Amino acid sequence: MQFTRSNAMILLVSITIALSAIALFPAISQAQSEEKTFVTHSGAVVTTSGEVIDPLYTVSTVDFDPDEFLRNFEYGRVSTSETGQTIREYTIIAEDDKIQEISPGVFYNVWTFNGTVPGPTIRATEGDIVRINFINNGSKEHTIHFHGTHPAGMDGVFEPVGGNGGQFVYEFEAGPVGVHPYHCHVMPLEEHIVHGLYGVFIVDPKEGRAPADEMVMVLNGLDTDFDTENNFYAANTIPFYYQHHPIQINSNELIRIYVVNMVEFDPINNFHLHGNLYKYYPTGTDLVPSFFTDMITLSQTERGIMEFEYEYPGKYLFHAHKVEFSEKGWVGIFLVKDNSENNQEVDYGT
Amino acid sequence: MELSDNTSKGKVIASGIIPFVFVIIMMAYIFGPGAELLDLGIPLPEITIEKVDFVDSEIQATVRNTGPIPVEIAMADVNDRIHPAAVEPDGHLERYEIALVRIPFEWNEAEPYIIGITVGDGTRFEKEIEAAAPALQPTLDLAVFFAIIGTYVGIIPVMIGLLWLPFIKKISKSKYHFFLALTAGLLLFLAFDSIEESIDVSNESLAGSFNGTLLVATVVVLSFLGLYYSGEKLVKRANSSKLAKPVAIALMISIGIGLHNFGEGLAIGAAVGMGSIAFSTFLIVGFALHNTTEGIAIAAPMSRGKLMIGKLAAMGMIAGSPAIFGAWVGGFVYSPFASVIFLAIGAGAIFQVILVLMKWLREEGDKNLSSASVASGFAVGMLVMYLTSILV
Repeated sequence: MQFTRSNAMILLVSITIALSAIALFPAISQAQSEEKTFVTHSGAVVTTSGEVIDPLYTVSTVDFDPDEFLRNFEYGRVSTSETGQTIREYTIIAEDDKIQEISPGVFYNVWTFNGTVPGPTIRATEGDIVRINFINNGSKEHTIHFHGTHPAGMDGVFEPVGGNGGQFVYEFEAGPVGVHPYHCHVMPLEEHIVHGLYGVFIVDPKEGRAPADEMVMVLNGLDTDFDTENNFYAANTIPFYYQHHPIQINSNELIRIYVVNMVEFDPINNFHLHGNLYKYYPTGTDLVPSFFTDMITLSQTERGIMEFEYEYPGKYLFHAHKVEFSEKGWVGIFLVKDNSENNQEVDYGT
Repeated sequence: MELSDNTSKGKVIASGIIPFVFVIIMMAYIFGPGAELLDLGIPLPEITIEKVDFVDSEIQATVRNTGPIPVEIAMADVNDRIHPAAVEPDGHLERYEIALVRIPFEWNEAEPYIIGITVGDGTRFEKEIEAAAPALQPTLDLAVFFAIIGTYVGIIPVMIGLLWLPFIKKISKSKYHFFLALTAGLLLFLAFDSIEESIDVSNESLAGSFNGTLLVATVVVLSFLGLYYSGEKLVKRANSSKLAKPVAIALMISIGIGLHNFGEGLAIGAAVGMGSIAFSTFLIVGFALHNTTEGIAIAAPMSRGKLMIGKLAAMGMIAGSPAIFGAWVGGFVYSPFASVIFLAIGAGAIFQVILVLMKWLREEGDKNLSSASVASGFAVGMLVMYLTSILV
């Protein structure tokens, strides 16, 4: 993905020209109301008498809202145990019959925890009791297997939960500190994972982390034609979503991303940030960052915490630097808004 | 009497219609209340990318719905990388409906590309292009270029072949039979060649739902029957008019060869259109040598009549010039479906000509088709064609 400043300029100029042309010549634009336009990779505006099929730049929404997922953390129904431990109780329902529009016009049979791919982001503090009331409303057996520390019986591997209403309660003490995936662990495992039965489990340190604009990004892929190659890649399921819906953040504000790689079939994935570098905490288990980089490589279920701040406002890409992935959907934009009163009146972005 | 005639007529009509009525009732039942009984299996969408054109900053794919159910075109990719695109007139394709997918793309000449189209259920279909070449614009220059190629491939070699006429004229009867049989052998080879080519084209670019091989078989037989019927009429008229029988046969041979050469022109035009220029230069040399033998096929029957240079030249044109039209069609408005049809018609036409030739040989050769000259002529004809075809 090459999105240079000059390309952006061309894009902006062409859009401006197109808009002003429409404003100046309303009669013409009405006469040509049948004509639709879209923007190409190089910023050119193409007119068509037919339909535009553009999941990349044309703003569109589908069955799942990645914006809502991005900053949503489920803390559960909180109560306190006799020993004074915080209990966080969740209900998670598995289903495997939903057909969701996962890219404009593309419909795929997703298997879901609580109706979405990824499932809800479960968040607890180290030492809390996490209690998951798991209900399997699917037609197949499913489980929830959490990464992290827990007794063998809570591992979600040897206790398959039957479909059509089967139930199981997973209960364990949240730990260790960090960011972990959870996923169904029924064989054939690959099938259950690629259909969407996974989510993120965050364990906060007792002392907490510095205040930040926090978000979750699950890097995933979708093999819509079942040839064991992904047709789409994304951060949070919907290809290109954050490209046409840039994530709005503030300059000079700490951003913290919990990133989990759930891509199957391809051995690695990676995360490249533009115009900045981030502190990286692999698995989030250590409070001291291991790297200061703009590029991390992630194997299956490899995950960590990224922290960064933008100094200059404007648009910044983030994407897989395995360019095949980014050109098939794993690409997004941070739109950095100026948050600093003292900032000089210099326009860095376009 | 009249009354009973009418009733019996009515009975005949009724008995002819009744089975149809039952067929309609059965169809209505299957599509209506009986649909659930047959609701087995899941119909899968299928599209075929029939054609890919490389135009200015754009790749255009012609897509046809060749599956059992309607499809929605959802996405386009180039080399498995998703691109913004447009689909005209719209992305909803009923069975056999066709759409143009326009993918803005700065393509590089002579590089291979794979064009992918994804439909609504996420299934991706692709077509590989070996080397991108700009789509041919029907300019006068190019039309002239194709006309020159067509002349080299069609007209000139056939005309050269016709120059054997004086030679064939002077030889003995058995040697003459040899040449007539040789002609039949040459033609038989051409018929197989056309069938092979049309099946190749249908396998490469036509969807399975067209039943390519059976389509070819059907068109070959229909073309054979049509020309057989009209050919017989021509021969009958030849008998009653001044038009000599050899001329009628030679004319039919010319028409058959002309249809065949139209197919060859298509192949050459399409090869140029797909950018394999070097390949088509080779093709042209091969076809030229190959087609010289076609002149003999026309010359052989003509050698028994009076020498009619005008008619001979006209037949040469009938046989050779379709190569030019074929090249135009193949280069400018290539359609795999039309190519399959034309090639199959050509094959059918040739089979008809072979039959006419054999009948004539039988009459000429005292009802004997198994003489050494006929057998060897046939064999040599096939062999010569095979050996010259290696050049193509």
